[in-house]
Amino acid sequence: MEQGKDRGERAPLFGKWGYWYALVAGFLLLCIGVFYFLTKHFS
Amino acid sequence: MSRPDWIVLVVTLLAIIAYGLYKSRTSRDLDGYILSNRTVPWYMVLLGIMGTQASAVTFLSAPGQAYTDGMRFVEYYFGLPLAMIVVCITFVPIFHRLKVYTAYEFLERRFDLKTRALTAFLFLLQRGLSTGISIAAPSIILSSLLGWNIIWTNIIMGGVLIIYTVTGGAKAVAYTQQLQMIIIFAGMAIAGLIVVHRLPPGVGWKEVMHLAGRAGKLNIVTTGFEGHKGFDWNDRYNLLSGIIGGFFLALSYFGTDQSQVGRYLTARSLRESRLGLLLNGLVKVPMQFLILLLGVFVFVFYQYNRRPVFFNESQLTTLAHSRYGDSIRVLRERYNAEEQERVALANSGGGVRLDQLEVLQAADRATVKRWLGEVGGDANDTNYIFLRFVTDYLPVGLIGLLIAVIMLAAWGSIAAALNSLASCTIVDFHRRFSRQPLAPEREYRLSRWYTLLWGIICVAMAQLAYNVGNSLIEAVNVLGSLFYGVVLGVFLVAFYRRKVGGQAVFISAVIVEAGVIVLAILGKRGIVPLSFLWYNAVGAVGVLVLSEVLQAVIGRARKYDKNAMS
Repeated sequence: MEQGKDRGERAPLFGKWGYWYALVAGFLLLCIGVFYFLTKHFS
Repeated sequence: MSRPDWIVLVVTLLAIIAYGLYKSRTSRDLDGYILSNRTVPWYMVLLGIMGTQASAVTFLSAPGQAYTDGMRFVEYYFGLPLAMIVVCITFVPIFHRLKVYTAYEFLERRFDLKTRALTAFLFLLQRGLSTGISIAAPSIILSSLLGWNIIWTNIIMGGVLIIYTVTGGAKAVAYTQQLQMIIIFAGMAIAGLIVVHRLPPGVGWKEVMHLAGRAGKLNIVTTGFEGHKGFDWNDRYNLLSGIIGGFFLALSYFGTDQSQVGRYLTARSLRESRLGLLLNGLVKVPMQFLILLLGVFVFVFYQYNRRPVFFNESQLTTLAHSRYGDSIRVLRERYNAEEQERVALANSGGGVRLDQLEVLQAADRATVKRWLGEVGGDANDTNYIFLRFVTDYLPVGLIGLLIAVIMLAAWGSIAAALNSLASCTIVDFHRRFSRQPLAPEREYRLSRWYTLLWGIICVAMAQLAYNVGNSLIEAVNVLGSLFYGVVLGVFLVAFYRRKVGGQAVFISAVIVEAGVIVLAILGKRGIVPLSFLWYNAVGAVGVLVLSEVLQAVIGRARKYDKNAMS
């Protein structure tokens, strides 16, 4: 298996996978933050 | 249903069939029939992935779930976006480079034939059963709410789509899913706007959120520690089970389930497959949040409007013909009188009497559920809440559209499932075990026959599920999690543990699968309280660890044999 080569391939839109990890982690944290605010604020 | 509703429903369904047939021209070989000649753009991959995952029950159950249990179900999807990245980096490029038709084909190249056959068989078993249930579950709801004949409902829900799925294969599935998702989003958005529009004047977003929050419906983030001394492992939806269990489930579903793999392998390039998957990761959580929010709005709507004592009317008819016949009649009369008073009070500002009525009505609802349990009826009306709201309160024409939305959601996921079941049968079994190579035209014709055969099997299974009852539906709902983890474990070993061979991974998969099933049985009996989402993690990690140990033992034994021989 040539996984090293696959991992080296350009990620769509941003080129590097690190940006996708950062985007998704940030997006999830934002969602959880907003949801947590809604849960606490309206309970 | 009124005539305009019927017209909307029939025209929408016929339009989808016609569109599917119009788009069904492909090359007469496996590449055309199974993979749409790899010509699908990223946005269709995205809609196809979403349409395959979101079945009719998604749109029926989720609002009802929010109504009864609150919005914490959204946590189930927290692991999905991260899983999408891992699938894109690890699974997709290898499938593309090897130009496989099914995910299991790769396992023979990496391990051996028996590992491929085992995982393909587990897929056929699990996907075949769950497709039968995904026809049965919405059919039962529609037939009992609208008084439709169950056999005909099953045929329309799971049989009619066979026309374009058999004819056009993956291409027809992709194009119809695109149109279906547009209609589904439009229908759900209109339903949401109508709920908001029909709230009393002066009840805005803030009031809705406060009311829902006070009733415990905005429990979007839960930790699993609420009301317990420690972490509740049996709690289905919380932050931890959603991120970890949901990650493994999504990794397994999108990386190893042919119904999803078959969608993104139709993409015109590796980049388009990846883009569809990654964007799915970003839209899934907000989409599920909005569907659940619709359920919360329906809950608030019912605070100001009349709500039935039990949302599944057919079960009340069952009670009326049971030993509780007189009791239920008296209870319903009292409940209706209280309901009239409650709605009037709610719309005029409430008060202590309103709180008293809420308590009395909650007791009435609990009594109905207890009686249903005692006479062997279905005491859970969660899946009926949204559709009951649709039929009771939406205007003429929109009822037909919302029923069409449910039907189309079912068609999208069932069509993809039938296509993938046929792909797996022809590629991993028929073609693989055929003594002579098959001509492309014959493979194409066989694929169509297998699609038809699986369609008939799944509709028959749906009818069987109706006859057996709810216990089977509940069992099959957790069935995926019994197998997904182990299959994922096999793929993870294939990708990440290069020294582990076919023998070790096969034996590990069989042992861990047996272990997961034992765990589920013990869980059902309350001996090992573990929510089903965790089975995915247990299965995957179990295969990873055990195959490593077994490989070490097998490797040492081989070394010993070699030394003994020399």
